Amino acid sequence: MAERMGFPTSIERVERLTPTLRRFVLRAQKQALPPVSPGSYATLEFGDGEKVYKNAYSIVMRSEDGLELTVIVRLAPQSRGGSRFLHEKGQPGLPVWIGSVANLFPIVKTARRHLLLSAGIGITPFLSYLKKMRSIGADYTLHHFCRPEERSAFDALLSEQDQTRVFVHTGLPSEVGLADWLRDESIATHVYFCGPEGFMKWVEETTHKLGFAPGKVHSEHFFVPEGGRPFEVILARSGRRVSVKADETLLEALELADVDAPCMCRGGACGACEVTVLGGQPDHRDHVLTEAERASGNIILTCVSRAKTDTLTLDL
Amino acid sequence: MSGQTQIRDSYRPPFRVDNSEETILRFPFPFPEDNYMYSMNIEPHVKGGPVEAMSHTFDVDEHYIGECAEKARILAEDPKRCMVLPHMRDAEWDFLELGMDSLSSDYPEHFTLKKEGNDWSWENHLLNISQSFVFGDAATLPLAPFEYMARQMQGDFTLHDQRENDLWMDGGMVTSQADWSLKFDMGMSFRQWHAPVPKASEMGIFDRGLRFLLMLQYGRPVRRLNWTMTINPRLDTSPENYMIWGEDRASVTAENVAEKVHLRVELQTLYRLPRSNAVLFAIRCYLMPIKDIMTVPKWRKRLHRVLRDLDPALASYKGLDLFRPTVVEFLRPYDDGAPLSSGIQSV
Ligand code: FES
Repeated sequence: MAERMGFPTSIERVERLTPTLRRFVLRAQKQALPPVSPGSYATLEFGDGEKVYKNAYSIVMRSEDGLELTVIVRLAPQSRGGSRFLHEKGQPGLPVWIGSVANLFPIVKTARRHLLLSAGIGITPFLSYLKKMRSIGADYTLHHFCRPEERSAFDALLSEQDQTRVFVHTGLPSEVGLADWLRDESIATHVYFCGPEGFMKWVEETTHKLGFAPGKVHSEHFFVPEGGRPFEVILARSGRRVSVKADETLLEALELADVDAPCMCRGGACGACEVTVLGGQPDHRDHVLTEAERASGNIILTCVSRAKTDTLTLDL
Repeated sequence: MSGQTQIRDSYRPPFRVDNSEETILRFPFPFPEDNYMYSMNIEPHVKGGPVEAMSHTFDVDEHYIGECAEKARILAEDPKRCMVLPHMRDAEWDFLELGMDSLSSDYPEHFTLKKEGNDWSWENHLLNISQSFVFGDAATLPLAPFEYMARQMQGDFTLHDQRENDLWMDGGMVTSQADWSLKFDMGMSFRQWHAPVPKASEMGIFDRGLRFLLMLQYGRPVRRLNWTMTINPRLDTSPENYMIWGEDRASVTAENVAEKVHLRVELQTLYRLPRSNAVLFAIRCYLMPIKDIMTVPKWRKRLHRVLRDLDPALASYKGLDLFRPTVVEFLRPYDDGAPLSSGIQSV
């Protein structure tokens, strides 16, 4: 097999932004980290002797010299442990392996104007956007939505930005008039949005209603795979059986059993972890498969999806 | 690569391109089986592989100086062979960095790169170039970064922006292509670009290929081989110059076939570029005359079988109709029909 891809780092600094948001600065242990394009995420692997966690986080910043990488981690209430572990045990010195870096949410370089909409932790990809857009003199506006008690934290996070272009709101998008602002945008504007599911749904529906072309609307779903009913998978090629516990994903169970399963984003967004289903019924939870593919029932994205049946037979 | 210090090759009449035995044996022969079907056949571009040509990030061989000179000549005649749209600026620097980093570490005897922060100095001993510049500041280079670097590398390069779930050809330098043109294809999406290949789109090959390339990751390049045939060692068989090379196809006879007909192989490698999120498509062209392929028994037998049984639609698409029968007829006596090992290696 190929050598293990990635970069060793360790936590250099931790800052508490709000009770649920922490900023981690990782420092490269060996060579400098590669440059990253705005909107990229990194898959981080960390843990203690007992458990290894692998989670993907948006890269907020890479230092000019490539030695430091910054991410912001939200303590997810339904966390299966990764973000909880980082909040509780992510202290300076903790080794963190950067497994892969990729971009599923790039800036559209040909766009004439960019409208960025975020809520809560959804601001993270835009922190890297803002830096780039400012440096190239792009036309952009950011509207960020948060709870009143988090306002000062986000104000601080955005304090270095061009204040004529970034706005923080504590009201709901529907209350502050986002629909009207969207209506006033020219048809050349590209809209990007990222945040919790309710927010995503509202922006999706509103932009659709207002007639934005699908090619001009871009989103990144922040998706923390949730647990669910335990089930068992049968690996057709070897006949082996692997059980998937309630608090682990199918992909994690496969990896734990040393099965060479493909993956990339680990969050249901890229499609890299697709595996053929030979028996049983998948419970799809991704944002990639088309309706037809979902209905066919013969493929599954192992990083987020589970099973409706007690067993699932996979072509692995 | 054996040392070479002067232009020896001529890719125009009077033609003169000689392959040493080493160059013949490192040729990326494109047929792993006796039958050829179009496929995406993508594999990781890891160092090492069945033939020597795949053992470096970018392959440099004994024709380096000759090919760079031919490229410079084509660009002088037709500057539009190199075009890059303004939004690809970051991709240009990504490309220059990838080129300089890999050439200097793969061939330290020919290329030297020194970095101090953003102050870089580059030496290309084969072309006698030495240049100090500030990385990221185009004003410190004599040419735009992409053009500067692409002129110092064998093969063609295209830069693709990723948007709307597709890859758009928004830049490139194309001087050794098999009958396609940067001028016509600039700004095209992956789907539009591949539309002419017979049957492949029906088979869903491109949808799968595109889906795969959209997920291409930094640090994990991939490669594939493509092939066609060219009469005479012409690197530049562009549609613009069809008037010049088109009639070559009718000039093949039983007497000159071994000299004139070349198997043209493209070693295509694809890279995700880190700053720009663009995809670099590198197309390295190898031209090998039948007479040189004849020296490797496995390859000459397999080439005979592949050409003999080739799907006629594919043969027409590749422009082989006028001379394929002559080549098959020539190769037939040298194929004893014995089973051949699968794979492209020479034994
Ligand atoms: S790894 Fe990206 S969708 Fe599963």
